[in-house]
Amino acid sequence: MAKDTRIILICSGKGGVGKTTLTANLGISLAQQGAKTAVLDADFGLRNLDLLLGLENRIVYTAQEVLEETCRLDQALVRHKQEPNLALLPAGNPRMLEWLKPSDMEKIVEMLSEIFDYVLIDCPAGVEDGFKNAVAASKEAIVVTNPEVSAVRDADRVIGLLNTNSINPVQLVLNRVRPKMMASQEMLSVEDVTDILALPLLGLVLEDEQVIVSTNRGEPLTLNGSKSPAGKCYSNIAKRLQGEEIPLIDPSKEGTSFGDKFKKLMQTKIF
Amino acid sequence: MVKLIKLSSIANQDWREVLIEKIEDLDIEDIELDFNDLLLNCDDIKEINSLCCKSRKRIINIKSTVPETIVSAKSLFFKSELYLKSNLKKNIHSGSKRKHNSEEITFHQGTVRSGENIHCQGHLFLLGDVNPGGIVRANGDVMIWGRLLGIAHAGLSGNNTAKISALQLMPVQLRIANKVARGPQQKPEPGLAEQAKITSGLIVISPLTSYK
Repeated sequence: MAKDTRIILICSGKGGVGKTTLTANLGISLAQQGAKTAVLDADFGLRNLDLLLGLENRIVYTAQEVLEETCRLDQALVRHKQEPNLALLPAGNPRMLEWLKPSDMEKIVEMLSEIFDYVLIDCPAGVEDGFKNAVAASKEAIVVTNPEVSAVRDADRVIGLLNTNSINPVQLVLNRVRPKMMASQEMLSVEDVTDILALPLLGLVLEDEQVIVSTNRGEPLTLNGSKSPAGKCYSNIAKRLQGEEIPLIDPSKEGTSFGDKFKKLMQTKIF
Repeated sequence: MVKLIKLSSIANQDWREVLIEKIEDLDIEDIELDFNDLLLNCDDIKEINSLCCKSRKRIINIKSTVPETIVSAKSLFFKSELYLKSNLKKNIHSGSKRKHNSEEITFHQGTVRSGENIHCQGHLFLLGDVNPGGIVRANGDVMIWGRLLGIAHAGLSGNNTAKISALQLMPVQLRIANKVARGPQQKPEPGLAEQAKITSGLIVISPLTSYK
């Protein structure tokens, strides 16, 4: 039975920009909104999506065992305790790096898409084999980048590769936005980034210390309806994915005190 | 209603006379200009515009088979479109001393992203940007209808007269024949097309006003 499952690749090229954090939070948000969601950790060499979701100690099987038919798919799927709509499937064991081929990935995703509405694939950094495997199975993609020259450059490269693999649509999430630094032009602005990458912007995520706390605890920010700035951004992105129209935050109006507003006013060109 | 006015270099007349003659007794205000194989620079198109304004005509669209003409028109914010020549043999320009090479022009539409690479034998006409990290190379000229933020190499096989033009020229590096230059540090004026060519042994960037 062909179901309208959305298979979304979350990738960035550069490491450490927030792919896994976005995958975890988006997974939780989508599940909260009632969509049956699977998150697939394709970064099996250095997997840590399970850590972020707090599911590390519950993994028994991986997709590898499912393909070898030593276990059933529902045995390998790890359901989230608080959010039963969300399930995690680790792609493989870090000790066996060689087994996965693009065709294996396609098989796993096909199995998942029979059960779930959304399959989010957490792509490894880089553009080598791990990336190629992950791309093979995906239909659409979200590119995560930071407002930094190096992250934007790598994202640009990845977008080129996604286009040649006919992944469509490709959307952009700009992570770790610091409104103050953007206002004082110390950081690439949203326009600078979208100018180069020329992608529709799915959302901005504000820089937030709470992200580090939640990562270490294994509880994604969106889990407890957190009111933290980044948590709100993540759940807005999930709503936009579902087709809701929510306006993007304006970094210039975010968290600015009177002093900052005054400073900004002084920088505004009148003539 | 829009009236299409055709000009070309075949008759070997001055295009100014032809144009004035054609628009003088026209009672339609909006006109579309087909320059065919005329090579026109920004000054020429400014002059045409003022001629049209004098006789109360408004240019709605500009068509041409010459990429340079289109780039000039585009840089003056005219709506313009490039079409392919139906007959390559008539490719002689009277408005300019420079003969257009009958070398092939390769057209590419779409952004050249980081890590991507375009290489072609003749001239390259690119509709889109070249992002940082992208490289475009051609044996002839490189014309970019967009921003050049990456690397462009014109005259690959050693042609010193090759040129690189773009609507916004902010490259990482420019290479013409065997010369290499770093890109300018400051941003260029927006809306001003620029071109780079070799002048007395150095790669020099100048506003795109004339093709000589």
